[in-house]
Amino acid sequence: MRASTARAGIDKKFSGNRDHPFLRWNGWRVLPIYIFLAVFVIVPIIKIAIDAFTDTQGIFTFKYVKSFFTDPFYLRALRNSMLLGLAVVVTTSILGFCSAYFLLRYEFAGKKLFSYLTIFPIIMPPLVGVMGFIFILGRAGTVNTILMDYFGFLRPLNFVYGWHGVLLVETLHLFPLITMNLLDSMGKIDASLEEAAESVGSVGLRKIKDITFPLSTPGYVTGALLVFMWAFADFATPLVVGVQDLLAAQAYLNIVQFVDRRLFQMGIVIGVFMISLSIIFLIIARRYLALKDYATLSYSPVEKKALKGWGGFLVPFFFTVLLIMAFIPYLGVTLAAFGKAWAMTPFPVQYTLGYFTRIITETPKYIINTFMYCGLAVIICITVGVPIAWILTRTKMKSRGLLDALVTLILALPGTALGIAYIRAFNMPIFGISLTTLWIIMPLVLAVRRLPYTVRSTHSSLLVVHESLEEAARSVGASGWRVFYNITLPLIWKGILTGALFSFMTSIQESAATILLAIPGWETMTVGIFTFYTSGSMNESAALGFILIVVGGLSLYVINKLSGKKMGGFFG
Amino acid sequence: MRIALRNVVKRFKGFTALKGINLEIKDGELFTLLGPSGCGKTTTLRLIAGFYKADGGDILFDDKIINHLPTARRNIGIVFQNYALWPHMTVYENIAYGLKLQKMPGIEVKRKVDTSLDKVGLSGLQHRYPGQLSGGQQQRVALARALVLNPDVLLLDEPLSNLDAKVRMKVRAEIRQLQQELKITTVYVTHDQEEALTLSDRIAVMREGRIIQLGDPKTLYERPNNTFTANFIGTNNLLEGHVIKGNGDRKYTVKTSIGSFMGIADQPLSSGQKCTIAVRPENVQINSDRQEANAFTGKIHFASYLGNILRYDIMTSAGILFKADIKYPWGCEVMAIGTEVKVSFAEFVCLLINDHYTEEHNLTAVGGES
Repeated sequence: MRASTARAGIDKKFSGNRDHPFLRWNGWRVLPIYIFLAVFVIVPIIKIAIDAFTDTQGIFTFKYVKSFFTDPFYLRALRNSMLLGLAVVVTTSILGFCSAYFLLRYEFAGKKLFSYLTIFPIIMPPLVGVMGFIFILGRAGTVNTILMDYFGFLRPLNFVYGWHGVLLVETLHLFPLITMNLLDSMGKIDASLEEAAESVGSVGLRKIKDITFPLSTPGYVTGALLVFMWAFADFATPLVVGVQDLLAAQAYLNIVQFVDRRLFQMGIVIGVFMISLSIIFLIIARRYLALKDYATLSYSPVEKKALKGWGGFLVPFFFTVLLIMAFIPYLGVTLAAFGKAWAMTPFPVQYTLGYFTRIITETPKYIINTFMYCGLAVIICITVGVPIAWILTRTKMKSRGLLDALVTLILALPGTALGIAYIRAFNMPIFGISLTTLWIIMPLVLAVRRLPYTVRSTHSSLLVVHESLEEAARSVGASGWRVFYNITLPLIWKGILTGALFSFMTSIQESAATILLAIPGWETMTVGIFTFYTSGSMNESAALGFILIVVGGLSLYVINKLSGKKMGGFFG
Repeated sequence: MRIALRNVVKRFKGFTALKGINLEIKDGELFTLLGPSGCGKTTTLRLIAGFYKADGGDILFDDKIINHLPTARRNIGIVFQNYALWPHMTVYENIAYGLKLQKMPGIEVKRKVDTSLDKVGLSGLQHRYPGQLSGGQQQRVALARALVLNPDVLLLDEPLSNLDAKVRMKVRAEIRQLQQELKITTVYVTHDQEEALTLSDRIAVMREGRIIQLGDPKTLYERPNNTFTANFIGTNNLLEGHVIKGNGDRKYTVKTSIGSFMGIADQPLSSGQKCTIAVRPENVQINSDRQEANAFTGKIHFASYLGNILRYDIMTSAGILFKADIKYPWGCEVMAIGTEVKVSFAEFVCLLINDHYTEEHNLTAVGGES
């Protein structure tokens, strides 16, 4: 959504330059990119939309949609999902705003560590998160065992099962989305705008409300819409804590059963509903952001203030509590992955590597599949994503607006909906084989889901490479491709790599589309976690989760080293 | 409102931005802080605004020390270099914001905003957003926003530097006119010496965190007491030399590498003392018949035709370039490079500057009050 404003300037800069090798990249040269997006984004969406409106004879009908909107059960699920989404937006907004504001405006003890750890929860699979919560806060979890053994509680407290559990888990998982988007847009507010407010008597909360917050809305709106969509479309978390009364959960349950035709059809309608919602959100966000172009003439960030007195204590305290809460799942997963005979005690009494041995020797397919599919997905992301970024920054092609919109749409499109759409669209045999029976669909869906990260990262590093640098190289005699290899590539490889790593890191945690599409033999680690967990093998499930956490943490570390702290743009 | 700075010191990480600033700004005066970037002029302005707190010394409004008074309670109006108009508010909302915070009734707010928009000539644009205005218009909105609260002090931080040359001239005149009308104490920061000369009642020339000379525009231009000011304001021919003899009435003969010259010093000099002679190009004659106190010969090295003047760079025997202006070049033949010319100037336009004296004087002044 941010790319469009940057483009206005680029149009001007590039007009009249017909000599650039990449300006001649028109028409047929970029056709493969458009075919890829058409086949793997547009066709599935259209197919599922048609499905929702045609009956078994292929005749146009409103009956499924009508039956969805007249069924009190689905209406209640819809209302619940909407309320859940709104509630999560409210809670994440509060946490996200506080953490972003503190990180941007103050100096305090442990700030560097906090700012690094705050981003962590969002890159973790929600499935691992909810599992970890249950190990610590569940009925037989650490906290309840302590309460009953040492504090005389007769019955365990219910921390996670039910609506409040969904809200808790989603909030702690998703708040970094708001934090990151706010860090990005609030960090760009010129210091003089707030100083001007002070000069006319606006201070403290008043200033935040009238000046700081309104100027942060571009980032905030994007973050809030994404949070809503993620919470709305997540089925794994509610199912694990025993909540089925939600649209996403119903969509999953309806699609994976093959008995009732009507239920299956309802799953499709829910998928279409989710897609429509993300398209509507996308349009709202675009309209809104187009109005709010807050780029200022000059830009110097607001100076950070050192916190003294109570503030110096309370702010680190806020982060400590928030992060302890957000990191509970990782503790739980780690304990369960190594803990032997963990029952009726707060912590395991013995530790073992047995579960890792088991998952490596008995079910190596989870790990092998994950790395193979995600590796392939990253290769596809680079092959498709880098040219898209090129088209967006370096050409004047008319279709750029559409391209930009598509990439952003993918970001908002829930995995649940895309999974359902793929099942419907690629079920039809082409040359006697349907794509849903070929394993390649797994890396393909992962690549499409995570394409925006590679595009964004490449796009923003290309923006930094001013075209005059390339022109200067040509002026001393370098030819088109030599310019690319000697000048452009050395300046953007970090951006490409960061984006690719981000795509990889988020691919391994994908748990919606892959669970829907995987057939026996194709299972990834997240599918394994889900299967192990639902079949009662908690420790094996946790061992897989632990590996995901470690890989995620390492990737995040490398990304941080590569890109500094500019992660906000990934989810914008 | 009078403003006073008493021995104000400001340190940032690793360097001292202000090394003891002493100032008295009179009520209703337009006072300019002039200097190159990094000299501390904006820091001084931000201290007066309250965006920074001084690490030493006092800031006084009238006779009250306001070191710790927050910006919001200083009753100042400020115009930033980038205008800092709130992009999410219309022109009207930008100007009205401060009034609304004072809980002023709506009708009153509207009347005030309309009046101030009228004053800066922007009536009819109140429903536009800042992004829809030209640079000059944004500048006027910023000015209206700063003035609508009837501040005691108006602070202007390089307000014209983002405008085109023509618009800058126009707005410059408007600012001066408005300031005279309102008789508001104004502190103006700029690095543009021409702007400072045209606008100001008084100017403080700053360099490396110190005020190096303070005076009205005419004094600073005609009687700089140090080579920095002489060089920074306008153009000057500066030649180092030493005093040979005094001729009475603060007139001295000074020997330089291109000959001996007679000039006037503002401070007493002694024989053998080092000093610099400063001669403005417009006070220099080329091939004049008049008998002047000072004269030497040189060759035309370069000629630049500026329209209103014709400037020659003349190479002297010692290899030093000397600038001389022909004031009415209309129809004048431009002399060929290499032409030998006679350069002459009067005794009273030849200023003798003793830098050593200036620095010593400054240091004792600062030290004396700390």
